[in-house]
Amino acid sequence: MNLHYLKNELWYQRRRTIAAIVGLSIGIGLLVILNALSTAYRQAGHAPLKEIGADITVQRPGDVPKDLTGVVFPCSAVTITDDQVKKIGGLEGVRGIGKGVLLWIFDPNRAWVVLGVEQKNTIGPAVLRSAVAEGRFLEPGKPEALVEISYARQFDIKVGDTITMAGASFPVVGLADASRAAKIAIANVYVPIEEAQKLAAGSSQVQSVSPFSAADVNLLFIKADQEKITNLASTLRTIVGQKATIGTPESFLKLLGSFFALSDKLTMAASLIAIIVAVLIAFKTMAGNIAERAREIGVLKAVGWTNRNVVGQLLAESVIQCFLAGIFGLILAAIAAYGLSFMQVSIPIPWDMSPTPHFLPGGGDQVFKTLSLSVQIPWILAAFGILLSVVIGGVTGALLGRNISKIKPSEVLRHE
Amino acid sequence: MNSGTNNGALLSGKGLSKQYGDLKVVRNVSLSIKAGEFVCLVGKSGCGKTTLLSLLSGLERPSNGQVMLDGKDITKATEDELALFRRNNVGFIFQSFNLIPTLSAWENVALPLFPMAMSEQERKRRALELLEKMELGHRTEHLPSALSGGEKQRVAIARALINHPKVLFADEPTGNLDSATGDAIMEILNKLHKEEGVGVLMVTHEVELAKTADRLIRMQDGEVVS
Repeated sequence: MNLHYLKNELWYQRRRTIAAIVGLSIGIGLLVILNALSTAYRQAGHAPLKEIGADITVQRPGDVPKDLTGVVFPCSAVTITDDQVKKIGGLEGVRGIGKGVLLWIFDPNRAWVVLGVEQKNTIGPAVLRSAVAEGRFLEPGKPEALVEISYARQFDIKVGDTITMAGASFPVVGLADASRAAKIAIANVYVPIEEAQKLAAGSSQVQSVSPFSAADVNLLFIKADQEKITNLASTLRTIVGQKATIGTPESFLKLLGSFFALSDKLTMAASLIAIIVAVLIAFKTMAGNIAERAREIGVLKAVGWTNRNVVGQLLAESVIQCFLAGIFGLILAAIAAYGLSFMQVSIPIPWDMSPTPHFLPGGGDQVFKTLSLSVQIPWILAAFGILLSVVIGGVTGALLGRNISKIKPSEVLRHE
Repeated sequence: MNSGTNNGALLSGKGLSKQYGDLKVVRNVSLSIKAGEFVCLVGKSGCGKTTLLSLLSGLERPSNGQVMLDGKDITKATEDELALFRRNNVGFIFQSFNLIPTLSAWENVALPLFPMAMSEQERKRRALELLEKMELGHRTEHLPSALSGGEKQRVAIARALINHPKVLFADEPTGNLDSATGDAIMEILNKLHKEEGVGVLMVTHEVELAKTADRLIRMQDGEVVS
């Protein structure tokens, strides 16, 4: 392989070089951006759960009590027993569990959506700690309340006031801007989980549709090993019932409905098609380029180049062209990624994770988690793109070079 | 049928035939060239001159017969051995120059050296030396597209000489040149065989040019007729 010859060939035959590079670079660019986009959607699917420090949420649907008075469970979240929670905690792949008790409290003059939280747990709605706008967060062992700020404004509730829900009084210790913190597991009022459990256990309305003891819960937030989330989701159904609502990044992606979010296999198939088309274009372009050089190859052989010398030279040219195509493809992908990062996606939050009763104002509205798509090209994907380009160059160059090197110089060098 | 087969010949072809399908292009030709001899192969277009040159130079394998160079039978050589034989023993000059368009004059001259283990400086030194001899010392960095027909042919001659060949094969070397430039090229070829002892086998259809040769071989319908 002669570097001078290689450099001159690529430089002075720019039309050929560019034609070979463009086709493959578009293919490589598509491959990289499709995968980067798929990863970005997958990450977006994690966002609603990530906000509450979880990977999976578990709820169990149940019946609605006859009368919506006093303390009731939303029909989308009834009892998950303490035994079931313990079983789930022992499953392989579960790294931690957060618990919650979600209640609707219908007092004569007001309806409350109340969420009992574990103050010290980093998994679950206690992440609200960072969204306290006034006052402080709930402290363990104290029957106190944290009120959602817009709800507090609506009903003129201030820090230091005492609110009474289902006959129990709670001093308001803080106001939280929950909309900043999360889109799921939000409520009007947050109380320590023990207080919510007491309220639920003491409610005849709750007990009438879903027997509940003071150690039970009705919301679970699970931190899990990423690769085990899908398997865990099906195992969880065997514990809490097949009708359970299991929220996972994948289930959010399904709600999003985007092609890129649908499945890794589809992305893989699209990438494969892109790369096959690119390889065919590159192969056809290079085959055309090499065929144009039949006379030149004849000269090389006439002056003493062996078949191996010819193949080596063409292989090196092809590898360099494809390497450049890989680089150019990455640049195209990076530009596309930059453009796509301005795109916003709105992930719909399922109605059964929306805590507001549908018959109250705003209760029927679809809730979305809106975020910018973070399209990034990881080094490993970039390296794969380049490596793939080089391999394509190697295979193309070797095949075409081997074929053209068999040319008989006497056939192509006869004078016109 | 044959002409000038000598003992002690540098290059000899014996009973050479070449057939493409039913078409017999070269028919049972035997000839030889001594070291430093200038032999002209003349004949009408299509009589088999270029095919015979291809057979003798190892560019083509004969259907029948044997080619010996310096006592070695090249018809039995493998493809790679033939390539090395051409690199080390023979030089080619073509009617249409066949320079590589993307390489400068000196790089075209050094083309046969590219696959050889040799430093870039040494390649360039040898190429420049030959270009100086061809009075092209001022055109070494030019691409073929910037050279005149005569200059291109002189670059091609320099390329043919870069490996100190024993025989030069020239196929209509003046065919694409005006008469004055053609004369100059002929002068170079004559000088090469007289001063440097390089054997030359030149194919031409111009009998006038052939008169300068040591020996003239006429071909007709694939056979040597005189």
